[in-house]
Amino acid sequence: MNLVKTMRGKMLVSIAVVGIASAIYFAFLVMSIDAAEQPKTFRTHSGTVIQTTGDILDPIGYSGKPLEFIPDKYLREFSYGRVSKLPDGITLREFTIIAEDDKMMEISPGVFFNVWAYNETVPGPTIRASEGDLVRVKFINNGQMPHTIHFHGIHKSEMDGVFEPVGQGGGQFTYEFIAGPVGVHPYHCHVMPLEEHISRGLYGVYIVDPKDGRPPANEMVMVLNGFDTDFDMENNFYAANTIPFYYQHHPIQINPNELIRVYVVNMLEFDQINNLHLHGNLFDYYPTGTNRLPFTYTDVITFSQGERGIMEFNYTYPGKYLFHAHKTEFAEKGWTGLFLVKEPPENIDQYGVK
Amino acid sequence: MEEIKKTSKAKLVASGITPIIILAGMIVYIFGPGADLLDFGTPLPEITIETISFSDSKIIATVRNTGPIDVEIVQADVNDRIQPAAVEPDKHLAKFETAKVVIPFEWNEAQPYEIGLTVSDGTRFAKPVIAAASSPEPSFELASYFAVIGTYVGIIPVMIGLLWFPFIAKMSKNKYKFFLALTAGLLLFLGIDAIEEGLEISTTSLAGAFNGQLLVATIVVISFLGLYYSSEKLVNRYATSTMAKPVVVALMISIGIGLHNLGEGLAIGAAIGLGAIALSKFLIVGFTIHNTTEGLAIAAPMARTKPMIGKLAAMGMIAGTPAIFGAWIGGFIYSPFTAVVFLSIGAGAIFQVVITIINWIRQDGEKTLSNAAVASGIAVGMLVMYLTSILV
Repeated sequence: MNLVKTMRGKMLVSIAVVGIASAIYFAFLVMSIDAAEQPKTFRTHSGTVIQTTGDILDPIGYSGKPLEFIPDKYLREFSYGRVSKLPDGITLREFTIIAEDDKMMEISPGVFFNVWAYNETVPGPTIRASEGDLVRVKFINNGQMPHTIHFHGIHKSEMDGVFEPVGQGGGQFTYEFIAGPVGVHPYHCHVMPLEEHISRGLYGVYIVDPKDGRPPANEMVMVLNGFDTDFDMENNFYAANTIPFYYQHHPIQINPNELIRVYVVNMLEFDQINNLHLHGNLFDYYPTGTNRLPFTYTDVITFSQGERGIMEFNYTYPGKYLFHAHKTEFAEKGWTGLFLVKEPPENIDQYGVK
Repeated sequence: MEEIKKTSKAKLVASGITPIIILAGMIVYIFGPGADLLDFGTPLPEITIETISFSDSKIIATVRNTGPIDVEIVQADVNDRIQPAAVEPDKHLAKFETAKVVIPFEWNEAQPYEIGLTVSDGTRFAKPVIAAASSPEPSFELASYFAVIGTYVGIIPVMIGLLWFPFIAKMSKNKYKFFLALTAGLLLFLGIDAIEEGLEISTTSLAGAFNGQLLVATIVVISFLGLYYSSEKLVNRYATSTMAKPVVVALMISIGIGLHNLGEGLAIGAAIGLGAIALSKFLIVGFTIHNTTEGLAIAAPMARTKPMIGKLAAMGMIAGTPAIFGAWIGGFIYSPFTAVVFLSIGAGAIFQVVITIINWIRQDGEKTLSNAAVASGIAVGMLVMYLTSILV
């Protein structure tokens, strides 16, 4: 009888202990107890300095590893292909583009997204030729589904990359066409579902230079793009050249009174429009880059999907100048950058600034 | 003789443990290292933003990993616009671990916001706030403020209710039964109300991983059984000796009501703590009116004894003061989990009180509840509560 009683008592006590312990565990914050660390500081977008002993969530740094895709490198990297002369005097430019769709890319600090890529980067390589060159692109599909390359420009129907899906697991196709017209054009995959094949990253820029070239300038490529990382048909991240806020933290350095030429291509999916606003300046704008005379002199241009053009400008005054989507939602989700106009050498002498 | 007893005991233990060992072996075989029998599907990350509070130029969210895998919080946003933020203690969350995300932000009073957090695979989780309001900082002033509110909601109404004592003491047996049944009805309503509240919080704020509804059910039953068991014990031990049985019954009722008031205090403290000022005013008025009837419930069993003012007042305190503790817990360390747990404990406690009262009625000569006074008492009690809940 006594034994039964003590057993019952013990059971009650143990139930109570388990109950109370689990309640305390869940009710109060279950935090891993770390040794007190030196507080870190960070600056908000409005300039306030904040201190924390925890981790900082800010799209500045990437998780320790060097980023596979470096927007600064992409900005000025032009691929002219393997050049040779054909017997009839025409310049042949040969390119190889390989599609993959199993790549995980850190598209924003700590955010790993399965991108589909041409030559392992989003956007793919910037292909550049002169008007009249013969462009030959050897396409290899190492993906797990069919892909193609559809070049904007003038070419034969069978070179359009629409009706000849290239099979997965090593399928090949060679696209061949005469470079033209002069301007800046996109290329992208044209396999259904189209929106997904494009928004996942299968796109790039194709520039056709005039035969006599353009005036010398500091040239760069900006692809306006975004990523829908949670597949709700809305972009979570926006950027010029893939990485949100990249050029805000790594300003593009230019010199005063230097001609800047930007090839801008809007590859943004899901949103109806995208736009670009330049601070402290206006620019000549050449839609599609096809006309030698500027279409307008402005500081905001608006793009629909696939729209593109060439901007030309120069800065007089040194300092930092923003460029960003004037659709400010996109700006606040990453499509924001900076030009840093360097101090001219004579000023450095004058003020003794190094 | 001893030897035989020992071996039979060992056999008993062995037979009890064997199935557990076999089960453990099977689980290791299926889920253990190297086992790929059930290796299909992709586990998806899931986090739950449990609370959002607003302070001077800051928005603070507490987040819990409620999914099957470890996650990393990599980005914070306000209204779907990316904001730099700090996550403490760190951005890596093991299963069920929580962290505090501090977003420096110039927010505006009474404006709606949505706070979002993105994990490393790019999935965004968000929680809306209907109207931003400054969360009170823990301070002595606020603690005393909560104590005052708790007194208004808990202690004073119960004391007012106790003033019915002489009124009940003088009435006829049938009317007395009616009043006992009335309190049972009132409390039954409060218990159901607490369960409903607990279920609502578990559906709106508690992560699915907690099995909120079952949590409510489990805790209600455990709380009920725990109080039922200890109250029977207490009644059996003391009823014959120093204290009269009615006093013990009244004491158990006041303990049950006290636990219930802890839940009420929690709701009020949480509402103030989360800045829902209008809601908390509503709660305060509602609970004050409701709780006056609780005094009646305590007074009723003792109505047939000679008046013991001191004991009655002590019981009023036992029933009322937990509201103050509840307000402190709710206001300073609120989490949906605590709220659900305390509401469920309160509901279980209230049901135990209802059973105690009904037993009390039956011991008073009534074998069934088919007595008109009893049936109408319970019904009127429920109706009164329902109507006050609409009107308040």
